[in-house]
Amino acid sequence: MSLISFKNVGKSYGEFKALKDINLDINQGQIVSIIGPSGSGKSTLLRTMNGLEEINEGQLIVDDHDLSNPKVDINKLRKDVGMVFQHFNLYANKTILENITLAPRIVLKENTKQAEQNAMKLLEMVGLKDQANKYPSQLSGGQQQRIAIARSLAMKPKAILFDEPTSALDPEMIGDVLNVMKEVAGQDMTMVVVTHEMGFAREVGDRIIFMDSGQILEDSNDPKAFFKKPKEPRAQQFLSKVIGH
Amino acid sequence: MNWSGAYTWINLNYLLQGLWITIQISVISIILSSIFGAILGIIRYSKISKVSAFVGFLVDIVRNLPLLLILFFSYFGLPQIGIRFSTFSAAIFAFTIFESAMLAEIFRSGLEAVDKGQTEAARSNGLTYLQTLRYIVFPQGLKKMIAPIVSQFISLVKDTSLATIILLPDLMQRAQVIYGQDTNYMIPIFILVAATYFVVNYLLSLFAGFIDRRLKN
Ligand SMILES: Nc1ncnc2c1ncn2[C@@H]1O[C@H](COP(=O)(O)OP(=O)(O)OP(=O)(O)O)[C@@H](O)[C@H]1O
Ligand SMILES: [Mg+2]
Repeated sequence: MSLISFKNVGKSYGEFKALKDINLDINQGQIVSIIGPSGSGKSTLLRTMNGLEEINEGQLIVDDHDLSNPKVDINKLRKDVGMVFQHFNLYANKTILENITLAPRIVLKENTKQAEQNAMKLLEMVGLKDQANKYPSQLSGGQQQRIAIARSLAMKPKAILFDEPTSALDPEMIGDVLNVMKEVAGQDMTMVVVTHEMGFAREVGDRIIFMDSGQILEDSNDPKAFFKKPKEPRAQQFLSKVIGH
Repeated sequence: MNWSGAYTWINLNYLLQGLWITIQISVISIILSSIFGAILGIIRYSKISKVSAFVGFLVDIVRNLPLLLILFFSYFGLPQIGIRFSTFSAAIFAFTIFESAMLAEIFRSGLEAVDKGQTEAARSNGLTYLQTLRYIVFPQGLKKMIAPIVSQFISLVKDTSLATIILLPDLMQRAQVIYGQDTNYMIPIFILVAATYFVVNYLLSLFAGFIDRRLKN
């Protein structure tokens, strides 16, 4: 039984078709990397999975919630599907600890003590226990992104969506964030990751989705084979460009 | 110029009572218009299709009318359709309408200035629209709004002097009564009234600075 299931999904912005005939099933526990050139629809695809973008055609079911039904309770779904953004988006008016405990307290109705204990465990896991009482602006980008991952984990989600989580970071901070992501991957979390980190996609991922102009051109369950030689000429072209860099 | 004649105890006391009216009018209008302005601003920000558009339409109309017109309307116009106010209430009614519209716009643009990523993160975290507004967007927007809100309050305090025209016995109107008796009182009274408005508004901006620092801590 798949956790996320797209059937002939389409999405347009006015006349422009950002997603075309998407068919994709993601199973519980899978680590899926979405790669492709800029503007190919990677973010759009990812953001449909928690309803940040609505779809116009086809059917999308995530964790038994039918996102093609306009009456779906999107807040219920979002309890179970976290998201990590390129620019972290930590709550600027909240401390690190509050960033992590806010949703568990308000949405899951955990009491403050319980939420804080859990948050401290997560802070320890991401190596930032001593930053609990600072504000996001006092942290480096890499630290903020690790907090953002902890914030998602605090909801005990079934899946976490990552939209280029390391693209806004200085090179020396990327490793720390990727290490946390690897640790999360090891905990049997379902992860969908839009990324330019080909190393992560190859070593940690179970599956590669290659997108171009709103379509899934290649869907490989063998990342190592994909990176050796993709089947699609467009994917070959793309890889030779990014790896050539 | 007759300073001692202008500054008699009787005159000072008379002005003080006017100041009290000015302060009452200001405070009540500030409280009411903050509530209505926040509600209208949030509705406009929220883009609840028709409702937000309608609120936007009303707010834009009121913002583009002269305050004096609204004041005349509430004092002279409304009684024509059977709604009768005391001078005091008519002044509060007019100031509240005008200030609510001005504040609604400040609230709306303050909320819109909050990074959209904050909303996306909160919604993705499972918060509802209203929870996101309450815990994330509104508090962050409020920090950006403090300065324009306070300058709006300061203009309100100054604008209450317009109510002189409907004979509200506020500070300005009482000043007129006093120098109406003797033009030699005019300059001393002007100076005193100017100093009083300055002190009130200066205290207001000091208070705003205090709030601003507390919010930014
Ligand atoms: N709100 C929008 N309105 C109109 N067009 C949009 C909107 N959002 C995205 N698009 C268009 O949809 C296409 C896909 O965008 P998307 O952000 O999904 O690409 P991407 O693969 O994530 O690219 P990048 O690697 O640059 O992040 C692009 O051509 C983009 O211009
Ligand atoms: Mg993108």
